Amino acid sequence: MMKKILALAIVVAAVTFSRGLYARVQTPQIQTGTRSGVIGVKIAVPEFQPLGADAKSLQLTELFNKVLWDDLDYSGVLTLVSRSFYPLGKFSGPGDIKPEDWTAPAIDAQFIAFGNSRVGDGRITVEARLWDLKRPDNREAIGKRLGSTDTEEGARLIAHQFADLIIELIGGGIKGVSLTKIAYISDRTGAKELYMMDYDGNDSHALTNEKSIVLTPSWSPDGEKIAFTSFKLNQANIEILSRIDRKPYNFVRQGGTTTTPVWSPDGSKIAYATSRDGSDTEIYVADWNGRNAKRLTVSKGVDISPFWNPRTGREIAFVSDRSGTAQIYIMDAEGTNVRRIIMDGGTAVNPAWSPDGQRIAFAWQKSRTSYFDIYVHDLASGKNDQLTQSAGDNERPTWSPDGRHLAFESTRNGSSHIYSMLADGTKVRQLTQSGKNQGPAWSGYLGQ
Amino acid sequence: MTVFRFKNLGLLLLFLLVFVTFSCSKKPVAVQPPPPPPPPVVPAPAPTITLRANPATVERGQPVTLAWQAQNAATVQIDPGIGAVMATGNRMVNPASSVTYTAKATGPGGEATDIARVTVNVPPPPPPVERPAPKPPDVSIDELLRQRVQDVLFDYDKSDIRPSEVAKLQASAAFFKEHSEVRVTIDGNADERGSQEYNLGLGDRRANTVKEFLVMQGVNANRMMTVSYGEERPVCREQTEDCYQKNRRAGFTRNP
Repeated sequence: MMKKILALAIVVAAVTFSRGLYARVQTPQIQTGTRSGVIGVKIAVPEFQPLGADAKSLQLTELFNKVLWDDLDYSGVLTLVSRSFYPLGKFSGPGDIKPEDWTAPAIDAQFIAFGNSRVGDGRITVEARLWDLKRPDNREAIGKRLGSTDTEEGARLIAHQFADLIIELIGGGIKGVSLTKIAYISDRTGAKELYMMDYDGNDSHALTNEKSIVLTPSWSPDGEKIAFTSFKLNQANIEILSRIDRKPYNFVRQGGTTTTPVWSPDGSKIAYATSRDGSDTEIYVADWNGRNAKRLTVSKGVDISPFWNPRTGREIAFVSDRSGTAQIYIMDAEGTNVRRIIMDGGTAVNPAWSPDGQRIAFAWQKSRTSYFDIYVHDLASGKNDQLTQSAGDNERPTWSPDGRHLAFESTRNGSSHIYSMLADGTKVRQLTQSGKNQGPAWSGYLGQ
Repeated sequence: MTVFRFKNLGLLLLFLLVFVTFSCSKKPVAVQPPPPPPPPVVPAPAPTITLRANPATVERGQPVTLAWQAQNAATVQIDPGIGAVMATGNRMVNPASSVTYTAKATGPGGEATDIARVTVNVPPPPPPVERPAPKPPDVSIDELLRQRVQDVLFDYDKSDIRPSEVAKLQASAAFFKEHSEVRVTIDGNADERGSQEYNLGLGDRRANTVKEFLVMQGVNANRMMTVSYGEERPVCREQTEDCYQKNRRAGFTRNP
C-alpha cells in the first residue's frame, strides 16, 4: 500500500516537474526539431479598410494587407486563422469588432489585428490595433498610427513595422525580423555580383558592379557593412562595402587565395581563410581592416569557412579536410582546443552558429552520390535535425537574428535560388526568381 | 495558285533549257568544211595567204584586228585560238600577252602560211608596298606557353599530382627554365560537386601543389603566383564525369 502511494507520488511529481520544464522551454523561442508541431498563438487579421476609394488608396492598402499577412504568417510564433471563417463585414475601427464573434469555436482567435488606412498629401497613414480578445479588462494591446510616404516601399515599411510590434509582443519580447535584409550573390546580369534584398525577397538590388566574380558575403554586426570575396584583379581578396552608400573600406591584401570573411560579434575583427603563408588555406583573424593578421590553424589541407560563436565570441567553427573529407570543427578563438563536431561521415560544410550560440546549422552530404541537405546540430545533445529533404542540393544556411528562421540556397527548382524557412524546416518560401543565386547572408537587426 | 504558277514557270524554264541546248549544238555543224571539189584535171595553182594584225602593238586589254586573205585554198586555219575560217575575213582578238598568230591555207596546189606578231605591253606591276619586317619564324611566347605548358588534371577531391601528369609538368618545368623571363599565375579549379567554399580551398591546394612541383624541378618560386577559382570557372558545363574531369585542373596564364 505504502509502496503504491509512494510510486503514485513520484509519478505525479515527475509529471508536474516535466510540465513546468516544458512550460519554460516553450516560452518565446520556437521549439526546434523537424515539424515538431508547435502551434503558435491564434490571431485573426481581417483586411485593413481604405478610407478613400481612389485607386492609390486601394492599391497601397491591398499591398499593406498582403505584407502584414505574410510577415505574421511566416513569423513562426503565430497561427493565422483563415479569412474564410471570419464574420461578414468590414472591420475598420473598434466599433466594428464584436469579440464574441472572433472567440467562437470556429475561429477561436486570441488576438485580432485590424484597422484602416488613409492615403493623401503624399502620405499613407495606418491606424492599426491589436486586441487581446481574451482579456476583456484590457483589450487593446497595441493602438498605433503608422505613417510613411504613399509609395509601395512606404506601404511595405509600415506593414513590416506593425508586424514586428505584434511579433515582439506575442513572441515573448523577441524582436521580429520583418525589417532585416539578406545579402546574396547573383549572376542575373552575367557576372556574379553582390545583391541585397528585404527578408521576404522584395526590393532586391545590386551593391557591386565588378563584372568579375564576387562570393561569400558576411554582415558586420551593426548591419552597416558587408565583407565578401572579390576576384576583381584575378586574385581572391577580401573587400568591404557600406550597404548604405556603397563606400568601400580597405582590407589589406593578404596574398594567396584569401576568402570566406566573417565578422566577430563585437565588430572589431574578421576571421577568414588564406593561403598567404603556405601551400593551403588556413584560418586567420585580423582587425577588420586586415591588419595584425594572426594565424589560428596549422594543418595540412583545406581550412576554410570560419564562423564565430555569435553569443560569446569565444569560439570559431570552421571546415577542414584534415581527416580526409571536409568536416566541421570548433576551436577556441585563439586556435586551441580543436574538436570535430559532426562525426557521422560524408561531407559536412557551411557551419552557421545560431544567435543564441546553442546550435550550428550546416549542409551535409551524407554520401558522395547524395544531395546536400540543411541540418541543425544541437551542441548540448550532439543531435542533428534534418530540415530539408533533398530535391536538389540545399546549402549554406544563414540564421535570422531572432534565431527563428534560416535562409539557404537550393537547386530544388533547377537553377539555384535563395529560400527561407522556419528553423524547424517548415514555411519554406522562395525569395529569388531570376538567375543563379547563392551564398545568402542574413543581416542582424538594422538600425531604424 | 502560287504553286501552280511556279510549276508552270519550271516547265517553261526546262523547255527553254532544252531548246537552247539543241540550238547551240547545231553551231559546230555549220563550221564543217565543205565537201572537197572534184579532182582537177589541170595542176592546181599553189595557195597564197596573208595575215595582218592591226595594230601590231597594244596595251593589255586593248583589241587587235586580225585580217586575212587566202587564194586557191580549200581550208584556212588560224592559230592559236581561232581555228578554221573562211578564205577571207577578219576577227577581233584581245590577247592577254604577246602572241604570234599563224594562218595556214591548204589547197589542192599545196600549203601556204603567214604569221602576224601581236605585241602586248603589260603594265608594270605596282610598286611593292612597304611591308613591316617579316615576323621571326619562331612563334610568340604565349603560343609556346600554350603548346608546351599544359593543364594539370586531378582526381575527385584530391590535390596530389597523379602519375599521368608528371611528364606534362616536367615539360612545363623545362619550358620555364628555357624562358626565364616568363612569369605565370597558376589557377586551381574544381568541379561543381562539393561545397562552393570548400572548392575554393581545394582549387587553392591544386594550384599550390603544381607550384611546389615546379619549384622542386628548379623553377624559381617568385615567378609563379597562384589563385583558386574553386568551381567558378568551368571549361565544361555538362554533368558528366568526363566534364568534371576537365574542370578538375590547374591552368597557367602568363603575367604581363
